[in-house]
Amino acid sequence: MAIGDWIRNSQVWKSIFRHPAPRDRRNRIVVMLTNVFLHLHPVSVRKSGIALSYTWCMGGITFFLFLVETVTGVLLMFYYRPTLEHAYNDILSLRDVATLGILRELHRWGAHAMVISIWLHMYRVFLTGSYKPPREFNWGVGVILLVLTLLLSFTGYLLPWDQLAIWAITVGSNMARATPFMGYEGPGAKFLAIGGVELVHSGSDARFLLLGGRFVGETALLRFYVLHCVALPLAVALLIAVHFWRVRKDGGISGAL
Amino acid sequence: MSDPTAPSPSASAETTTAVAATSAVAAAAAPAVAPPKVVVPPKPTPAKPADKGPSRRFFLLSWFGSWFAVAWVAFSASMLAMVLGTVRFLFPNVLSEPPTSFRAGEATGYEENKVDDKFKEQGAWVIRAKDERNRDIIYALSTICTHLGCTPNWLESEKKFKCPCHGSGFKISGINFEGPAPRPLERYAIKKNDDGTLVIDKSRKFQKELGQWDDADSYILV
Amino acid sequence: MDSHAHGLSSSVQNGLGGFYLVCALMNFGFAAYFHFQAKNRTQVAIWGAVGALFALMSVAYFGHFGWSLSHGIKDFVDRIMNPVSYFAISILALAAVLYFRRFFTNPIVAWSVLMITLFCSGFAMTDPNFTAIITKPDNVPIVILIFSVGYFTWLALRLAVINDDRIARGEPPMEKLEEDKVLTWPDLVYTELICMVVFTFALVVWAYFLKAPLEQPASSAKIPNPSKAPWYFLGLQEMLVYFDPWMAGVVLPTFIIIGLIALPYIDFNTKGNGYYCFNERKFAITTFLLGFIILWVVLIVLGTFLRGPNWNFFGLFEPWDPHKSLPLNNVNLSDYFWLYGFGKSVGSMHWLIRELPGILLVLGYLLLLPPILAKTILRDYFIKMGFIRFFLLVTLIQFMALLPIKMVLRWTINLKYIVFIPEAFFNI
Repeated sequence: MAIGDWIRNSQVWKSIFRHPAPRDRRNRIVVMLTNVFLHLHPVSVRKSGIALSYTWCMGGITFFLFLVETVTGVLLMFYYRPTLEHAYNDILSLRDVATLGILRELHRWGAHAMVISIWLHMYRVFLTGSYKPPREFNWGVGVILLVLTLLLSFTGYLLPWDQLAIWAITVGSNMARATPFMGYEGPGAKFLAIGGVELVHSGSDARFLLLGGRFVGETALLRFYVLHCVALPLAVALLIAVHFWRVRKDGGISGAL
Repeated sequence: MSDPTAPSPSASAETTTAVAATSAVAAAAAPAVAPPKVVVPPKPTPAKPADKGPSRRFFLLSWFGSWFAVAWVAFSASMLAMVLGTVRFLFPNVLSEPPTSFRAGEATGYEENKVDDKFKEQGAWVIRAKDERNRDIIYALSTICTHLGCTPNWLESEKKFKCPCHGSGFKISGINFEGPAPRPLERYAIKKNDDGTLVIDKSRKFQKELGQWDDADSYILV
Repeated sequence: MDSHAHGLSSSVQNGLGGFYLVCALMNFGFAAYFHFQAKNRTQVAIWGAVGALFALMSVAYFGHFGWSLSHGIKDFVDRIMNPVSYFAISILALAAVLYFRRFFTNPIVAWSVLMITLFCSGFAMTDPNFTAIITKPDNVPIVILIFSVGYFTWLALRLAVINDDRIARGEPPMEKLEEDKVLTWPDLVYTELICMVVFTFALVVWAYFLKAPLEQPASSAKIPNPSKAPWYFLGLQEMLVYFDPWMAGVVLPTFIIIGLIALPYIDFNTKGNGYYCFNERKFAITTFLLGFIILWVVLIVLGTFLRGPNWNFFGLFEPWDPHKSLPLNNVNLSDYFWLYGFGKSVGSMHWLIRELPGILLVLGYLLLLPPILAKTILRDYFIKMGFIRFFLLVTLIQFMALLPIKMVLRWTINLKYIVFIPEAFFNI
């Protein structure tokens, strides 16, 4: 115990933890107020609000899986190059050569689980009527987070550059070709012409913007990679902050009002 | 959400200040805000303590209004220009995509009603068959399904192209007859070189539903 | 010995042995609960017997007896299965669960349903075609999805039934009973920590035992048959059978997102805020369940298990034959109207005249129906909700209903398009 006391009384320890361990009521309150991560939560919560049968814990699990995806994703990025030459082989070597060859599995199954858990979270929030005033806005933020999660999964699907990936993305991105007025096979696009020159053609429509080319090729791989690794996670992180903030500001974990 | 039956405050308050410009603003705003069926009873103008205010307020309003207007318009325009510029930036100007035309051998090397996948990698089936007017022609069909862009397969036993994604079926002519595809496969431009070899140009497409299959560049007579 | 005659590999048999062993243990646990906690002799006997049955099955498969589903049953299941019966059964099942929710949320009934499901799915796995689909690594999430959506629907309905009873008696919902607050540390923080540990463990086990799929390198010439979207988009892919891409891939998803965001602003019912209930929110919950369960989850399950090569419909146990050909001779509304109605050929008509019936029908549906509803059967809603809310609600439900409407039209009269203007890519 002497070593333990010595550590706890050292200047370093005291500079990190400004108060004693949360063993009594006062310090259990203080710990929630002084820690930047813990203060996502209020100091106290309604007892019924944290029952597992009530919340299903699905929102928390979704957030946890987002963290898992971030960590495993960063690790995978060290070995993956988004080019036609390397992409597939890098995935192969992640499976066969890399130590701890389950990182890709963790990432993929975590992503699948995140899609399920975010659906179930929305399902629960609907069934308890927790989108009702004053939480209307936060429900909307949640819907956008749901869409972003699906987009993250969709963009990640292309990266292994195997048959499964390229054809799923071909089918998916071809829908953009049919966007009204913005896709060259969408309704109305034919009418957007100046003097017989079509403005919306296969080299200028929504799908071209998405893929950076006329078909799913190297530019598409790069775009999806950047979206998957940088743009979308940043947007999700930002909206998660808003989402959590508003959970607290709109009355905490939902409960009977 | 505002209650649509409530009389619009701007319509009643601003018109009573009786200044030409503000009433013009109110008149412009009133039809948009006030619901058509609600009749706003004409209020008697209340005697306001600050009766000498209007002209002064109008002066300030117009002065600020104009400068704010200029500033906001400039700000919005530059923001819009930035957004449009960013969107334009995302459209690449140079594409490193493979060339769009390829050679497809001698015209004499094709048997009638036979589909082979020799040029499927390049994105076309080169087929010799009879057309609707019973002419013997060679044409190049695009391998892109007109439904969602998958690549159909030629089923020799059933003499049809069948798309594995959503089950669209096309006859050897490329005309759709089953499944969700809304229109026939497209033809690519085809021509015969002086030395007798065929050249397929994928940059030019011919769509049957637009009557383009009558175009002489969409087939060659054998 | 005769396991080869049945075509059951020993790994499948061992897997099934383990599967039934887990089922047997679950039932013994259930019986133990009745023995020690509820002290209900009858239930102990019933679930002990069920557990013994599962244990017997387990022994049979570990002993490689090779029991498998008879061809008669498989053929029967395949024969009665088609998109129509599949949807009809799903909708009827949902309606029955909602209507008889008091019966179905009884834990013993729910447990029986679960056990019957597990028993049947175990037998189904003796079929090689079914096993081939269900053991695909990317299809594991679908199995998780089916069971978790089922479980949570049961849980929510059960809590809703209890709360409905309480509210009917004039008592507050259960969630109001424990209004007192507890400190976040330790009550919530430790729950979260345990959840995280359990999930990390589960994820690592899953990742260790199941390899992520990796197929041949991408090639633009060879296309896998069937080509499926990622499983969470299979609902959208199924819609593509009935609508053109601009509807199924762009317009309808946009309306799903808009509808979800608008939902709190449309739902003017102030009751049922923050607790499970059904009676106070019948319309809202039924509509949402129709959208989420039927038009999303059920479509995903259909796309995973029942859509095979060329996107043809295949029965649960039917081999995926790439040459299966189904007559798909669909007819446009314009043909029905002009050709069959007036005996005129549509070939030479101007598109506006040709498609006028369809255009009028669609415009009437979208523009005339809401005011008619507001004047007649939904008058009360219209008065309570006000103009904007009401029209938003009706329009969103109309777009949601487009899919079932088109499905029924396709199944009954082989309708391909209501409006067909290929000149402008405008097909509905």
